[in-house]
Amino acid sequence: MSMEASELQDLSDDADYAASQQQGSASMMRCDSGKRSSPSEHDDAELIYLKDNVAIHPTQFASERISGRLKLTKQDSVLFLSWIPYKGQTSNAKLSEKDRSLYTITAVPFTEVRSIRRHTPALGWQYVIVVLTSGLAFPPLYFYNGGVREFLAIVKQHVFLARSAEDANVFLVNDFQSPLQRTLSSLELPSSLPVASGQYPSDGGTSNDNQGRASADVGNRVSSVNQYGLRKQKSHDPTRDLSIHLLEKFSLVTKFARDTTTQLFSENNGFGSIDKRWNNQPVHSYPEKLSNIAEEKHQESPHSYLDNDPFKDEEIANNVDVPDDPLEVNKLSLVWGKPRQPPMGRKEFTAFLDSEGRVVESKALRERVFYGGIEHQLRSEVWPFLLGYYAYDSTYAEREYLRSVKQMEYATLKQQWQSISPEQAKRFTKYRERKGLIDKDVVRTDRAFEYYEGDENLNVNIMRDILLTYSFYNFDLGYCQGMSDYLSPILYVMENESESFWCFVALMERLGPNFNRDQNGMHTQLFALSKLVELLDTPLHNYFKQNDCLNYFFCFRWILIQFKREFEYEKTMQLWEVLWTHYHSEHLHLYVCVAILKRCRSKIMGEQMDFDTLLKFINELSGHIDLESTVRDAEALCICAGENGAASIPPGTPPSLPLDDIMLYPLEDDVL
Amino acid sequence: MSYAYLFKYIIIGDTGVGKSCLLLQFTDKRFQPVHDLTIGVEFGARMITIDNKPIKLQIWDTAGQESFRSITRSYYRGAAGALLVYDITRRETFNHLASWLEDARQHANANMTIMLIGNKCDLAHRRAVSTEEGEQFAKEHGLIFMEASAKTAQNVEEAFIKTAATIYKKIQDGVFDVSNESYGIKVGYGGIPGPSGGRDGSTSQGGGCCG
Repeated sequence: MSMEASELQDLSDDADYAASQQQGSASMMRCDSGKRSSPSEHDDAELIYLKDNVAIHPTQFASERISGRLKLTKQDSVLFLSWIPYKGQTSNAKLSEKDRSLYTITAVPFTEVRSIRRHTPALGWQYVIVVLTSGLAFPPLYFYNGGVREFLAIVKQHVFLARSAEDANVFLVNDFQSPLQRTLSSLELPSSLPVASGQYPSDGGTSNDNQGRASADVGNRVSSVNQYGLRKQKSHDPTRDLSIHLLEKFSLVTKFARDTTTQLFSENNGFGSIDKRWNNQPVHSYPEKLSNIAEEKHQESPHSYLDNDPFKDEEIANNVDVPDDPLEVNKLSLVWGKPRQPPMGRKEFTAFLDSEGRVVESKALRERVFYGGIEHQLRSEVWPFLLGYYAYDSTYAEREYLRSVKQMEYATLKQQWQSISPEQAKRFTKYRERKGLIDKDVVRTDRAFEYYEGDENLNVNIMRDILLTYSFYNFDLGYCQGMSDYLSPILYVMENESESFWCFVALMERLGPNFNRDQNGMHTQLFALSKLVELLDTPLHNYFKQNDCLNYFFCFRWILIQFKREFEYEKTMQLWEVLWTHYHSEHLHLYVCVAILKRCRSKIMGEQMDFDTLLKFINELSGHIDLESTVRDAEALCICAGENGAASIPPGTPPSLPLDDIMLYPLEDDVL
Repeated sequence: MSYAYLFKYIIIGDTGVGKSCLLLQFTDKRFQPVHDLTIGVEFGARMITIDNKPIKLQIWDTAGQESFRSITRSYYRGAAGALLVYDITRRETFNHLASWLEDARQHANANMTIMLIGNKCDLAHRRAVSTEEGEQFAKEHGLIFMEASAKTAQNVEEAFIKTAATIYKKIQDGVFDVSNESYGIKVGYGGIPGPSGGRDGSTSQGGGCCG
């Protein structure tokens, strides 16, 4: 067998390969209105970069690998990525020629690439994962001779690369549109939304045809196997066997990737049995396999999620055919969502601190809070860390100093509006308007709650002072309704005006965009939510689409004030501290939305709710949502969605920190 | 609970003019000065009788702050009636009426009945907008007008019912095709004469609603 790298032409005698080529370019033509042709068909493509000994691992065994050549080519100013396995060279006889051609990546234009994640572990091989705009990803490409940085540097010379705010190892490709623009344009043109099932339209009737084509196409788009996971097959389809085969292959690849990046999952402890199941499960094959496992291992019925009517399905008319939940969330969360522990107490918290008060392992602390919350008396000490007001590596003394400095700073800020005389106020409309609004709203915030109840309540006045001071601290954002809902529990917990102010400031660094005048922070999140539902419950997504509900305005209140009006006060605080850990994701709140929607999906679809009815229904869920099982569902959904879920959420979506700085100063240093 | 018709109402106007209090006074017959500010939208419902016909009002109480306008606009769809509220003690809430009206005209159906309400008329000593100004504005823009007080309940009942009566009359006059729900009217039980006839099933949404 030849050890040479085979060029594309050399593969033309391979029947499978030729078929996949043909189908592949046919479907690409379909997606792109024939504007583009693959550079491989014309030899005028300019070779930009070539790297030998780049391999993928189709199985979990490091010894089984397919080596090949990674290339960057450029044609008509479009950069293309391709990876062609060496002809005949596989490390193991079990890997067939078919496998080899299956994984071939043929000239993917960077316009279809969303991001590149690099892994450069100190031990082991470097690799990159290329994620497409559709949310799907190619298997990891291992650089056996190193050179990931060089590769990224070359890419950067030809396309715009920006480092993700969430993960320093993720580089976003051509991400110069603001999230708002992307949101708006996508919302207005729902048909242009990239679909979880890859680049193929997933609407009803023609799906079999599409699947057939997709399967053949899978040779150069390995990742499109994912779509099979998300769709329930009704009839036997010969292409299905192949797709499941591929699915398994792909999941083994991801398993290998996971096992070689031990840092990803090795930190879980104390949940042994569940972890074992977790690790034995291929990430990307969740839909069918998972429900089987759930059935096998958990015969007990899921505990009651519902403590009231809104979730009950009894009224559903029998003649309405509700599509099955592709993820069967109630089973899913039994397997993937871990049970909660009791809230963290002082003794436990102290164990996270070194002798000078530094949090030694902030991730372990966040994990602990994620899985059980914090005892109320301890909240005032831990919330400032979670919110980002205290640095985890600060000492007791440094925090003491910070508090005193910040208290003076707060006093100065407060003095700014306190020194406005009645005469000055007369000529200061903006100030009067804001003050009027805040005055009106603080007396309408949680007044039924003990801490704020009664006439002349001092805490209400403190809330007013903090909000007014904040509107001077951040004059551009000012005051908007909903802010008092956030401040109220913070003040209740911190019981200190200056400390509450700075915690609120830290929270608004992330959630301020919720209150932008143009509502772009809200629209971005609602858009991300629609993408997640599309990924995690395609039938429900299609239902919303058909019923003109894709704007997700019915989730507006959930997101604006992070479920503050949906749970009782104590439960809200529990949920918030879980969300603020950013443990699995900065956007767990969106998965919480998906979790609740999935629990109601059969009622929503069964009763054929229109926008108005749905909005009213969602509003009336308030007070009837069980927190613990919802968080558990959300965790399960978040883990299952994995990178596809993360890729559904545009960079900079609140509560991620704003991208602006990164956009202004794009990575001059670190890529190279 | 059966009804002959269901009308969708929407309450709009600046923040703090008393929209939620008007709703509560109408649905629960009580005044609650201490209540949480409205985020997004809240719902209320009540049965009334017009021309011996039971009519259910489903009322959408919206958030008033300017920033939420883009969301509020999506609530107009399919509203049969709107209560446009200002506060007679705060001039600026009257000055903003034109922009609210513009929103309503743009996003609601053209036959929506609009009632202008000058609220807080119990605070006459702090009045900043005269009754005549309110009347004048209503006349210019083809609105029904009333001053009311959510606190004393003065004219609250009347405002909601008069709006419903106007809608009902439009139905009788054939202005609406009641089988088209985009007008914010659903036909329920109760033997309605007319082209669409009675239709059932519309009461399935938990009947009493929030009220």
